[in-house]
Order: sequence, then structure tokens, then C-alpha cells
Amino acid sequence: MTAMQATRTPKIALVGNPNSGKSTLFNLLTGLRQKTGNFPGVTVDIKTGRFRLPDGQEVELTDLPGAYSLYPTSADERIVAAVFSNPSDPHHPDAVVYVADVTHLEKHLLLLTQLLDLRLPILLALNMADAAEAIGLKVNTAKLAEKLGVPVVLISSRTGENLSKLLLEIEKLLQEHRHPSEGFYPLDEQEKNISEAIRLNAGADNPYRALLLAHHHAWLPDLSEQTRQTLSAITSDKQFNSLKHQVDETLERYDRFTPIVQATVQHPPRFPSTTTDRIDAILTHRWFGPVIFGLIMLLIFQAIYDWSSIPMDFIESSFAWLSNTLRALLPEHWATRLLTDGILTGLSGILVFVPQIAILFFLITLLEEVGYMARVVFMFDQSMRRFGMGGRSIVSLISGGACAVPAIMSSRTIGNWKERLITILVTPFITCSARIPVYVILIGLVVPAQKVLGVFSLQGLTFASMYALGVFAALSTGYILKKIMRTRERSYLALELPVYRMPHWRNLWLTVWEKVSAFVFEAGRIILIISIVLWASASFGPGSSMDEAKARARTEAAVRRLSPEETESLIAAYQLEASYAGRIGKAFEPVIRPLGYDWKIGIALFTSFAAREVFAGTLAVLYQLGDAEADITDAAENPTKATLRQRMRDEKFIDTGKPVYTLATALSLLVFYALAMQCASTLAVVRRETGSWKWPLLQFAFMTLLAYAGAWVVYNLFI
Amino acid sequence: MLRRYRTVESLKARECARALRIEDPFLASRLTAMGLLPGTLIEMIRRAPFGHTYYIKADGVRLALRKEEAQSILVDA
Repeated sequence: MTAMQATRTPKIALVGNPNSGKSTLFNLLTGLRQKTGNFPGVTVDIKTGRFRLPDGQEVELTDLPGAYSLYPTSADERIVAAVFSNPSDPHHPDAVVYVADVTHLEKHLLLLTQLLDLRLPILLALNMADAAEAIGLKVNTAKLAEKLGVPVVLISSRTGENLSKLLLEIEKLLQEHRHPSEGFYPLDEQEKNISEAIRLNAGADNPYRALLLAHHHAWLPDLSEQTRQTLSAITSDKQFNSLKHQVDETLERYDRFTPIVQATVQHPPRFPSTTTDRIDAILTHRWFGPVIFGLIMLLIFQAIYDWSSIPMDFIESSFAWLSNTLRALLPEHWATRLLTDGILTGLSGILVFVPQIAILFFLITLLEEVGYMARVVFMFDQSMRRFGMGGRSIVSLISGGACAVPAIMSSRTIGNWKERLITILVTPFITCSARIPVYVILIGLVVPAQKVLGVFSLQGLTFASMYALGVFAALSTGYILKKIMRTRERSYLALELPVYRMPHWRNLWLTVWEKVSAFVFEAGRIILIISIVLWASASFGPGSSMDEAKARARTEAAVRRLSPEETESLIAAYQLEASYAGRIGKAFEPVIRPLGYDWKIGIALFTSFAAREVFAGTLAVLYQLGDAEADITDAAENPTKATLRQRMRDEKFIDTGKPVYTLATALSLLVFYALAMQCASTLAVVRRETGSWKWPLLQFAFMTLLAYAGAWVVYNLFI
Repeated sequence: MLRRYRTVESLKARECARALRIEDPFLASRLTAMGLLPGTLIEMIRRAPFGHTYYIKADGVRLALRKEEAQSILVDA
């Protein structure tokens, strides 16, 4: 090691197949000292963390995505191939800890042998020692180490068995910096020629890395255009058939390491019918499978829809209390209102999602950890693929019925980018809990409370059709996107169904923490900004218009002999009308008039952009009711709360004198809210999950257009 | 020409066969990397509740395959 290298923190990468228990080992080694980053350009998580070796030295550990081979077939695997093809990549490690499932060692060594050919210092951690012992599997680690030429440690990332031995071996690996002496796979004639040509012309230091460049030059992210052309010239000159060479090389490697595994691992009698088989006979059964899945989803739905309302109400009432207290304590000033109405409202609007996110990810990660999620993919892959999505998408869509924010975050485990993107784009169509207050008001306003066929409530049926509309919009949009979106990524399933096992609680808590903090600190920033902008637009007007509105309201209140509360309500209504938000709502009136809306609805549409449930609150202010009466959940239970609905019924267009809230207008509004992307939090989360503003803006545009078109059609059908 | 080989797709539940080769080069690259090789013992476990997705065991490893993936694997049965 040179002096310069010695002074910086050594980098170690964890590499292994999916299901090797790699991430559990990562969590065990780093605990909370980890952070999640994105690989540039793609939204695949790369986790890095730090830990100390027994000699006190600190090392940086990277948990690379699970991969089977350096010949990638998924976005995850492409990252691993890119890191190891480029020694100057920031994630390129000084040494590799290769994690393999000892109970399936004969399928887990391909990637290890590829890394051996890159001559990186590497050690083999045989994971799942506890499972091996349970089934009576024995492994001769000394012999395996000798045959492969790398140190081998038998560990269990679940019980922590032999962890200290692993740390000592890592220490030794870094001190000795021993590169494997001989290669594993002998290049064939053509591969040798190409590798040689690439080493001469493109400056690769290692024959196998040169071969990787020949395979991957078309897509590797960090190649200069000149290098890419050189590589392309060399491969086409030698008529290099990449896929054929990949398969031949893979088979050759298996031929070489299978005897090594057979000589060192003593298997128990062949594959007995295990617990996993018995569980799967039920969980993936033709009839029981979907029914059990439905019940599990019902539980998840219940949890995020119902149980989370307790902490959510607590968060909202705490913030309301804090806001009121501060308003009473601090002097009346715009800065006070910025704090109470802008910042605190925004923060409350962010934190209110935390219970839903935490509960959803707790349950989803639990299902993932025990191995059930792979079965969900197995059962629903084909059905969802019809709509451009994958098996996992069904979980996101169903969660979207409670809230699109955690649902979209849960799409991260969908491997195929196109399927994941379509899932992200269509999930907000599913009727979420924030749409319910809007639906309740509008349906109660125009749909008569009568029975159809003697049993079905007409209002209930309207409600149900709103849900159906959401599902229909999501699936048909998915179908259309599937047809029009181009991808060079070929879709496949070929998914391993892991053995069922008890969840690892540490993994669970870390995932929940990671998702919550990602939402609060990344998406939260955007939500806070939008919330402050909306507050400002509703609190300020051009020039002295706000003061004039106040004076006008005072004069009118004096003439009409209004009580102090009624005067306040009138001031609030006039000021909102005079504010920037009011002006925007009025300016939009010509645009929304064809949908049957007046400018007051326009203002409500604008202010409810941050969150749909604000719709009722804004109308209440405009109709001079004060915030208190905005919350009309059930008029029958609480007649005083029905004031808003009463007030809406009386509302008339100024120019024509006709009532605003006719059946046509209300249905048009219902359709608008069903289809429009009226949720800043969802936009912020889409921005985080897709890594750019391109997709959330496109999504906002097409959902708004669709909502406008749908609302227009419905208005004209019913008028 | 008559089809001389059966594919994994044609295996009945609980039927076993050895893989001979994988026809599609892309799927071959993926499946061999996962350890499904010529000579691998394949057991058909069941079909998915809706449609043509297959649950198989390849040398004891449980895999889910789509129809076209199952069709690309020729077997000796």
C-alpha cells in the first residue's frame, strides 16, 4: 500500500447474489451508521456505512445491490457491473467481502469467480451457518479456501456467529492487500485477441476487465465517446457475439467451480419436502393463494387507513394547539402568520404522513423479510403485466387506496424500470383517503339519499363508483403507457422464491427509519416550500388590496351590524378574494367555467393543490363560515356542521343567477378530484423516486388534462 | 419440422426433467447466471392462480418463470 492510500479510509464492498443475506450482514456491521445514496442517473439505492475493525481502523462499507453475474440483466446488476468495470468509480472498493448462502453454494459462486479474475483482494463469507447446521449440511472451509485461493469464513448474519472472526479476516485482507494470484476462467482465443486489443488501445489494466469493456461498452456510463468508439470498432472488427460469449463463459465457470463445491460441501439427503414447500402449497394455491393475499392486503389497508388515524390526529391536533398558542403569545404580524399558518401547517402536513409510511413499510418489509413478497410477484405477475406493471405493483396500487405517498415509495423494489415508472405514474389515480372529505361533501350535496332496488343507497353507489373510476383510470393509463413507452430493458421474471424464514427485526426497524427519514428530509423540503408559497399567495395581495378588502369588509359589517365573529369571517372572505390566490382563481374562471365552476371553486382548486382536503376549508372561508364549519363529515350526526353544505346549496352565479352546485357541477367536480393530481406531497415523492422533475411534471400535466376533459364531459352530459 | 423436445412449460405438476438447453440467448444469460444450466434437474411445482406463470424447482432452488421463459428451456422428458 502506498502512503497516500494508507491515510484514507479503506473501502470495502459487500457483494453477493440476491437472498444471500448480504444486507442483513450490512445492517449488523454498520447499525445506524449508514446512509442511502443513489447511483448517479438511476434510482437504485446504494447504502454506505462505517464500522471499526478490531485494530481500531475505520472502514467504509458499501452494500452493492444483489447480483448473480457481471453480465447484467437488471438495473441493480448493471450498477455492480459498472462499478467493477471502472477502477476509478467512486464505489470501486479496495477489497471485497463476498457473501454466499452456504446452503446453495453451488448456485452462489459465479460472481465470486468473476471477481477473482479482476484480481481484487477478496474474502468469501459463507452465510447462513445456522440454517446449514439445522439441515445437517457440512462444509470444509479450509479446503474451499485452498481450492479458491481466498480466505473463507463461515458466518451467520442472523445470529452474529463468527462475526469477530470475519472482522479479523477483513483486517488481514486490508493489511496484506493480497490479490488473487491466478485467474479462474481462461479466455478463449477470440476473447484473448479482443482483450489484448482493448488493453493496448483503451488502457484497461486487467485482461478480464478488458473483456468486460468489450461486453458492456454500449451502456457503461463513464466511458468517453472516443473510448466507446474504439471499443465498438474492436468488437465489430472481430465479430464479437457478446451474448453467446457470456453464456459460454458462465457455463465454463460452473464446470470449474461445481467440482470444488462438491468436494467441500457435504449435502444432506436430497431436497426433502421442507416447511417452505408445505407453506407454499397453501400460500400459492390456486384458490387459497389469492384469498389469503386479499386478507393480508385488507389488514395492511386497515392498518394504514384506520390505525394510523390515531397518531395522525394526535400530530394534527398538537400542531393546531402549538399554532394557536403561538398566535396568542406572539404579536399580530405577518411573520407570526408565516410561522403559524405557513411553516407549522407545512410541517404538520409533512409529519402527518409519518404514521402511514412507518406502518406500511413495517408491514411490507415484514412480508419481504419472511419471503412472501416473491410469492405475490409469482401470483400476480401476469395479471399486472397486462397493464404495464409487475407483480409487486399490486401492493403499491392497493396501498394507494389509503395514501399515494407511502404507496409510491413502496414501488422501489420493482426491478424493471418501466414497470416501476408506470406504477408510480398511475398509483395517484387510486382513491386515497384525502379524497374522501371532498366526495362526502359533494355527494351529500347533490345525490339524493334514496334507495336503489330497495337496498342500495344511491349515495353509497355513487361513492363506490368513484372508487371504481380510480381503479379504471389507473389500469387503463397503465395499459396506454405500456403501449407508448419505449425501453431498451427487456422484461423478464425469472425470480428466485426464497425459503421462508423468521424476519430479522433489525432489518425491519432500519427500513422503517430509512423510509421515514427519506420522506421527511427529502420530500418534506419540497412540501414545506409549496406549503409556504400557497400560504403566501393566500395571505398577500398586490399593492394595498388586502388592506382595502379589510376596510370594505369592516364598513359592510358595520352597515349590516354583524357580530365580531361574523366580521372576522367577512374580512377573511374578502381578503382571500383580494389575495394573489383569489386573483389566480378569478383569472382561471373563464378556463373552468366550461366545467360549471365559478371563481370561488377556482380559488378552492388552487389552494387545494397542496392537499385535496383543503378544498372544504377554502370554500368555508369564502362563504364566510370560518374554519370551524369546514369539517362536515356527517351532517346527520351533527346538524350544525352541515352549514357549509347549506351555504353551497344557496350559492348562485353572479351573472346568470343560476345555482352553482347543480348535479352537473358537483359530478364534474367529483370527476375532477378523482383524476387530478391535487397533492403536493405525491409530486414531491415522485420527484424523489424518479430522481428528476421531468416525471412529476408530466404526471401533473396529464392528470390535470385528463381531469379537465373528464369533468367537461360529465358536466355536459348532466347539464 | 416436428418439435423433438419438450419444454419446461409442458411439464405437468410434480413431473421432473433435466434441462438440455435454453433457446433464447438473453434468457440463457439470465437463467444460467441463476444456476439453471444444462443438466439441472427441474421439477414443475404448480401454475400461478391467474395465467401462465410457473413455480419450478431447479436443483432444489425455487424459481418463478413466465410462460416465455418456461418455453425457452428445453428438457429431456
